[in-house]
Amino acid sequence: MLRIIIWVASVLGWVSRVTKRGNGVMVTGRVILKLSPHAVATLAKNRKVVLISGTNGKTTTTSLIYHALAAQSKVVSNFTGANLFAGLATALSKEMSASVAVLEVDEMVLPWAIAQTKPELVVLLNLGRDQLDRLSEVRIVAQKWKEAMKTLPPKCAVLADADDPFVTWAARDWSDVIWFSSGATGHIDASTCPECGAILDWNDGGNDYVCECGFRKPSVDWILRSGELTGPHNQKITVHSAIPGFAAIGNAARAIIAAGIFGIPLQESARSIAQVSSVGGRFGELKIGKSTFRLLLSKNPASWRETLETSASGPNAVALVVNANTQDGKDTSWLWDVDFTPLRGRKVVVTGQRRLDVSARLTVNEIPHQIAEDEAEAAEIFGAVQADVIASYTAFHRLAKLVKRS
Amino acid sequence: MTLAIVHLLPELLGTYGDRGNVEIASWRLKQRGIAHEVITVGVWDKVPTSADLYFLGGGEDDAQIAAREILEQDAALQKALNNGGHIFAVCAGFQLLGASFPASRKRTITGLGILPIETLATSPRSVGEILSQPTISVATLTGFENHGGQTRFLEELQPLGRVLRGVGNGLHSNVDGVVTDQIIATYMHGPAFARNPELADWVLARKVGELAPLSAPIFNELHAERVASN
Ligand SMILES: [Zn+2]
Repeated sequence: MLRIIIWVASVLGWVSRVTKRGNGVMVTGRVILKLSPHAVATLAKNRKVVLISGTNGKTTTTSLIYHALAAQSKVVSNFTGANLFAGLATALSKEMSASVAVLEVDEMVLPWAIAQTKPELVVLLNLGRDQLDRLSEVRIVAQKWKEAMKTLPPKCAVLADADDPFVTWAARDWSDVIWFSSGATGHIDASTCPECGAILDWNDGGNDYVCECGFRKPSVDWILRSGELTGPHNQKITVHSAIPGFAAIGNAARAIIAAGIFGIPLQESARSIAQVSSVGGRFGELKIGKSTFRLLLSKNPASWRETLETSASGPNAVALVVNANTQDGKDTSWLWDVDFTPLRGRKVVVTGQRRLDVSARLTVNEIPHQIAEDEAEAAEIFGAVQADVIASYTAFHRLAKLVKRS
Repeated sequence: MTLAIVHLLPELLGTYGDRGNVEIASWRLKQRGIAHEVITVGVWDKVPTSADLYFLGGGEDDAQIAAREILEQDAALQKALNNGGHIFAVCAGFQLLGASFPASRKRTITGLGILPIETLATSPRSVGEILSQPTISVATLTGFENHGGQTRFLEELQPLGRVLRGVGNGLHSNVDGVVTDQIIATYMHGPAFARNPELADWVLARKVGELAPLSAPIFNELHAERVASN
């Protein structure tokens, strides 16, 4: 029965795509769930499932884990970043013979995904302010995770970021947590203790935290420093990533650890992961007018900081595209949480629906810039040069379709 | 004379880009050559009681309670008001100036008792664009609000604006914020000073006197766009 439903849903998804009426992935998944509400549970049965969730790095980490595991087994995944109910259903409905599913899951959907898929491994990346108009307070998301941890199947492993107090708090009651430290420092939303609300005491340059109530950073099993990953039995591996930036190395390390749990030797997964250079258009190249753009995604204060730092070693010209659709978050106040001074000295153009908000922010940050109607006008301003384009969620996905397939 | 601006507890009260109001205030003073300093008061610092202008932002429940505990020591803010200081408060910062405010797990927390207001827990959260007709002589006010509590006046008070769109103080009051001789408070983040340059100057002028005109068209364009799209 489910096979027929999936077939019907795929046809409807295909129709929606070719008639350009909607996103085929979403239509397929919605139809599957409408006709068979327990489809995800049924499709996940007898498969090894890995769930990846967190504010930033979901898509990249999912893709890297996929590449590491695909060397050994047939794997399905939701590459497109469709990480809500319908996206998970669609991903699982592909390749019925795949024995492994590697799924990126929206933070709020994680409890449901755990209940449905009975995962073998859950990777918890980080929790920070993001789309506050939709997700509300960071602590509330952490609370949902904490409750979801109580529903994990007995043999499930959790790979959790010990640098993040919210992740630590959510995961620490579980019996089998593998704690990871990427060396990330500070956390703008964790000035108070998630357990008791007292002021959290940050030390070691922002990589260690402790509270008077006893809540503290757990001792880590896997530690990443300057690209060297060290495991609990003193395993050592150098982590390489073809994806630029500090966060990418951390995500590559997580993928190596995750693949290790599935029995893949560190060297082997490190090799497959190092070859992945672009995930879903991130850091891909596109041509608009005479300019050649490198596409970067930025969604919230933490990811903007990371992206601005990564972009700083890129070309001189940079376009910022900020929208405020539902998926971007309708509230642009976070712009004021980002220090844009790494842009100083570069040629900056702002565009997108909320270019005036960005322009006001840059004005106070004393960063000279120009405003453009769209990317085409930005390209006219730049001319025949290499440029970065840093785009918010919906702008990114529009531009990602233009990325040259290499 | 150097104007002393105090940015209170940004680690705790700064969830919605609230530091922007401080940066914008400082920038608008700088453009006019008005000497000033911004003193950032962290969680382990003592709150100065003789500064000119204090900024309080929004924050999550636990942070709001932690902020109240710090601010109630030595009644620092009340002393600052007694010394002639002014306060600009947003969202959680607004709530904690009152008699009480709600927190998670159905707790009610005693506020600083500086304003005769109280905040009650409401559901669902009030989230979205807010537009209001000001009771002071500035252009229509625009912002974004996101709060779980709604606030009522326990005595007669002047609101900052009559709500045209959104919730504001809520509880069927149809107003947002409050204006007293020394305090301006609002549920508008956004931040409020970015979208409402006239409000920024109004708050500053109350403390430093008449301000020279400032040519910064981007803020007027942003204001016009936000008002028009709501
Ligand atoms: Zn604690």
